[in-house]
Amino acid sequence: MSFTGAVRAFGPVRAVDGVDLEIARGETVALLGRNGAGKSTAISLLLGLDEPDEGGVRVFGRVPAQAVRAGLVGAMLQDARAVPRVTVGELVAFVAGTYPAPMPVAGALEAAGVTKFAGRRLDRLSGGQAQRVRFAVALVGDPSLIVLDEPTAALDVEARYAFWDAMRAYARRGRTVLFSTHHLEEADANADRIVVVDRGRVVADGSGARLRRAAGGGLVALDLACSDANGQAGQAGQADSAGLAGLPGVVSVEVRGGRARLRTEDPDATVVALAGLGLVRGLEVAPASLDDAFLALTSADGPTRGSARTSLEAV
Amino acid sequence: MLGLLRLEVRRTLRDTGFVVGGVVMPVVMYLLFTNIGGGADDGWRTASMVGMAAYGAMGSALNTGGAVAEDRTTGWLRQLRITPLSPRRVVAGRALTGAVTVLPAIVAVLAAGGLVNGVRLDLRQWAAIAVLLWLGSIPFTLLGLGNGYRLTAQTTGVVNLVCNLVLAVAGGLWFPPELFPPWLRSVSPYTPTNRFAQLGTSVADGHAPTAGAVLVLVCWLSLFGSYAVVSYRRAARTV
Repeated sequence: MSFTGAVRAFGPVRAVDGVDLEIARGETVALLGRNGAGKSTAISLLLGLDEPDEGGVRVFGRVPAQAVRAGLVGAMLQDARAVPRVTVGELVAFVAGTYPAPMPVAGALEAAGVTKFAGRRLDRLSGGQAQRVRFAVALVGDPSLIVLDEPTAALDVEARYAFWDAMRAYARRGRTVLFSTHHLEEADANADRIVVVDRGRVVADGSGARLRRAAGGGLVALDLACSDANGQAGQAGQADSAGLAGLPGVVSVEVRGGRARLRTEDPDATVVALAGLGLVRGLEVAPASLDDAFLALTSADGPTRGSARTSLEAV
Repeated sequence: MLGLLRLEVRRTLRDTGFVVGGVVMPVVMYLLFTNIGGGADDGWRTASMVGMAAYGAMGSALNTGGAVAEDRTTGWLRQLRITPLSPRRVVAGRALTGAVTVLPAIVAVLAAGGLVNGVRLDLRQWAAIAVLLWLGSIPFTLLGLGNGYRLTAQTTGVVNLVCNLVLAVAGGLWFPPELFPPWLRSVSPYTPTNRFAQLGTSVADGHAPTAGAVLVLVCWLSLFGSYAVVSYRRAARTV
């Protein structure tokens, strides 16, 4: 499936703002972004529920609505509420009947872990149970592409593991999977590839490891001199941190509670330089976490939050 | 599409509001209105039977619109759009569901007339009344759909209820129009409900529905039909 320069605006808000994305058959891709980053809008475009204002979206070479009509796509929507007065079994069997080559209903119920309450009515299930039923609905048509919008939002830990097991089993059969999430660990653990979306744009695209590298090699933290003293000393601290930004490898400096956190491309060089200046106090060196990578990516050049992160913030 | 019909009919029959409001109420009202105070003459037993069957059919037909409004809010219509069913089939399935779910009301009231109140008609007359009431309910289904595609689930419920009561009373489904004040009596023949019931009463009286009845109903059919289409087009952009 592919997005080419897709734009979808709602009034002044460009929810999807020029997305180019190519996903090959058999890939498992996570669409990662904060709330309101444009994930759900992108998914609506992909499912043909909405049309792009500019650019194009294709699924297996077809217009999305046609791919859906041909039974190539199964999806689990985020905002769907329970259909009233229908049992789980009835719903899944009905959806199976709309696809050209569905899997056995019992198999889909089993894979989603809902066999136990197949006879229960949907409007009497808990949030987590209803979410698992939606997974069964997405699976049962045995589609080539399965799209899951925030699939684990209402699940407890155990159900979450069971869900990802089932999803990976599905992907192993050569199916393409696209899921959206704002949980970094989930994306890292379950996707071959993470596409980070922010303000309607793709800001990064690659494996979890690559995203970590892209965010800079590591994080160096140290106590600033005189940080425990009063006003005047605070100014000294400010001067210190101004100097820190110029050290080798340092990309950004953040000072909070008398402690400086340096994001650096080359932790070794930074530490050597710090030692040369005699600034090593309570030193800590850590590799960039995926969280750091994510925050760096989604706020680096943004108009609203970007400046706060790269500028100095003396306490 | 048959799968959708089966699913939707099941859902409708499990709706207590539908069963009570659309089937039980008309039967109870019919038996009350014709047996209270020493009972009614044969003519009114028959006319009221047709009127109440029409009332039940209209309630059930309007309910189809309520179901659509509910499906829009729960996201069921959206969910259907990501199945391979084409939108045309979804709409057709919904319309067929409406057609099937008006039958219980018609059958129940006619049965109460024949079995409890001793209304005697030819088999041909019974069949003709049932079929005419069934076909005549289409304008009301369209009115319900127009409301359902345009309004929220809650508002649809209220608007449908108001339409139901006003049309039932003005059309003389509950009380014969002869009891109305003169102004209402002159308006009544132009209401869709009055002519709807007339389809059945003329058959019960042994003659075919009048051209006037058919003409008035066709006018309402096109009016409610356009209303449904306009509402649907508006909703299709947001569902």
